[in-house]
Amino acid sequence: MVVDDHPMWREGVARDLTERGFEVVATAGDAASAVRIAKAVRPNVVLMDLNLGELSGVDATLMITGELPETRVLVLSASGEHDDVLQAVKAGASGYLVKSASAEELVEAVNRTAAGDAVFTAGLAGLVLGEYRRMAAAPDDAEDKPQLTERETEVLRLVAKGLTARQIANRLVISHRTVENHVQSTLRKLQLHNRVELARYAIEHGLDSEPEAER
Amino acid sequence: MPAEPAVPGTKVIDDPVAPLWRGVVALRIVTFLFAAGAVIVQQDEYERAWLAWTVLGAMAVWSAVTSRLYSTDKGRKHWIVIVDLLLTCGLMSLSPLILSDKQLLEWNTPLITTIWASVAAVAAGVVGGKRWGFTGGLVVGLSTYLSKGQMSVDLMRDITLLAGAGLVVGMAATTARLSAVRLAQALRTEAATAERERLARSIHDSVLQVLARVRKRGLEVGGEAAELAQMAGEQEVALRALVAAAPTESTVDGEVDLRPGLQLLATPKVQVSTPATQVMMKSGVATELTSLVREALSNVDKHAGSEARAWVLLEDLGDEVVLSVRDDGPGIPDGRIADAEAEGRMGIAQSIRGRVASLGGTLELQTGPGEGTEWEVRVFRKGALT
Repeated sequence: MVVDDHPMWREGVARDLTERGFEVVATAGDAASAVRIAKAVRPNVVLMDLNLGELSGVDATLMITGELPETRVLVLSASGEHDDVLQAVKAGASGYLVKSASAEELVEAVNRTAAGDAVFTAGLAGLVLGEYRRMAAAPDDAEDKPQLTERETEVLRLVAKGLTARQIANRLVISHRTVENHVQSTLRKLQLHNRVELARYAIEHGLDSEPEAER
Repeated sequence: MPAEPAVPGTKVIDDPVAPLWRGVVALRIVTFLFAAGAVIVQQDEYERAWLAWTVLGAMAVWSAVTSRLYSTDKGRKHWIVIVDLLLTCGLMSLSPLILSDKQLLEWNTPLITTIWASVAAVAAGVVGGKRWGFTGGLVVGLSTYLSKGQMSVDLMRDITLLAGAGLVVGMAATTARLSAVRLAQALRTEAATAERERLARSIHDSVLQVLARVRKRGLEVGGEAAELAQMAGEQEVALRALVAAAPTESTVDGEVDLRPGLQLLATPKVQVSTPATQVMMKSGVATELTSLVREALSNVDKHAGSEARAWVLLEDLGDEVVLSVRDDGPGIPDGRIADAEAEGRMGIAQSIRGRVASLGGTLELQTGPGEGTEWEVRVFRKGALT
């Protein structure tokens, strides 16, 4: 499923994927219909643009991954790797790709996302690394802050320095699979923490009763 | 206050000291009533009562004139305040002619201008700040002394109060003007930021999307289209970096965000990774680090081959900042850097090492044939370049 507010991109990406043997089950041009359609068609992978207008791709990602645990979201964004990308990843996206990536890179990323792997660019690794450090440095609620293990930090730094999973495996003398697991685990901890935080916020502000309540 | 806006097309914000001017006008009216009361009470004892009434009339006219002048921007001028001071002192100096010697020397009767005279000193403070206020107070005080003809404890007290009041009002006026300037500055920055965000959004929604698409399709089509695609790609990355890089604003203590400068170094072959939050550094250190990275990247360009890619990673560890520059080129053979250093050539050796040393940081270099090159610079936040 392809979500993008730009028709040219939506059609282009859908065509690229269809040409390479993927089945594009649906497309959507805004966040609200993306969530609605995703719930109906239950795609394996959602390619999500972040700039969708009123409701952002981050909101859509949060809702889709929250309701459809089997569906994975791959963020495809033209903007720089900044706060919105980090927010999307915290909201449950399992990877990120710049829009200018080649068709081959896109195919590989979709395949990896479908297989449950995280798609990490060096830029995203830098953001995630920064986020863990920001949380570690923040003085508030120290108890349940997610932390990286030493190995995870090491792996993430190497990803941020542009090494491929294979190069990292060689350098650290661990298996390729282990590298993937470390990377995924850094994401999962961040997402879990984010959900807990959101739930706590919702309970504190009395927003937890009716998820459909907002008009 | 400048009557013309400094930037054409903008509006002059209301005079920040306008409330103080209104205070001056109110003070002038109240003190005039006081002076009038004093004349009524004292008139029987005066040497020349007719002159007292004449001076009071002049004070009434001048009070009306200045009340009008000080109520508009046009009248709030230094020279008008000077005229005010001189006129006040002049009227005051007629006191020896009005008051009898007994009143003047023994009974301690107020001079004809009484506390009405203090208003000119206060106005001086409002128009020119603390120096003007202090000086205005002294001038009025001195004139009081000259009119009385002798010094006394009471007179000392009056002079001190006059100079002090002028000083304090002057400080208040300066503070009000400064905060108005700061507020205007903050509003400008906010407007610029909002405009920038609007631009970034629209660039993102249109130009970037098209460039990315052109690049992608062009590469797929190949041939001449691929060349165009490459150019589009370069512009796309440059534009994205520009849009992403927030304007570098320094804080009050001279710190800047290190990220924007680094993000501008991104090209299709250079990936710059930073945290999502600001990385504040002293602006001198930030500039040094940025140009250091630029140097390292141009070194990659020169020595690692045109196909080499590079990654820049910025990490903020709280008390130190780590900058890594890695390339996937052939690496620097053992001893090459040492050779270059021995030959006294500039380039990496002196430039990078020297710069890191002067920042009080450490430099680690990892390289080897076929392994690419990796520089890791660590700079401590405290005790860094001052």
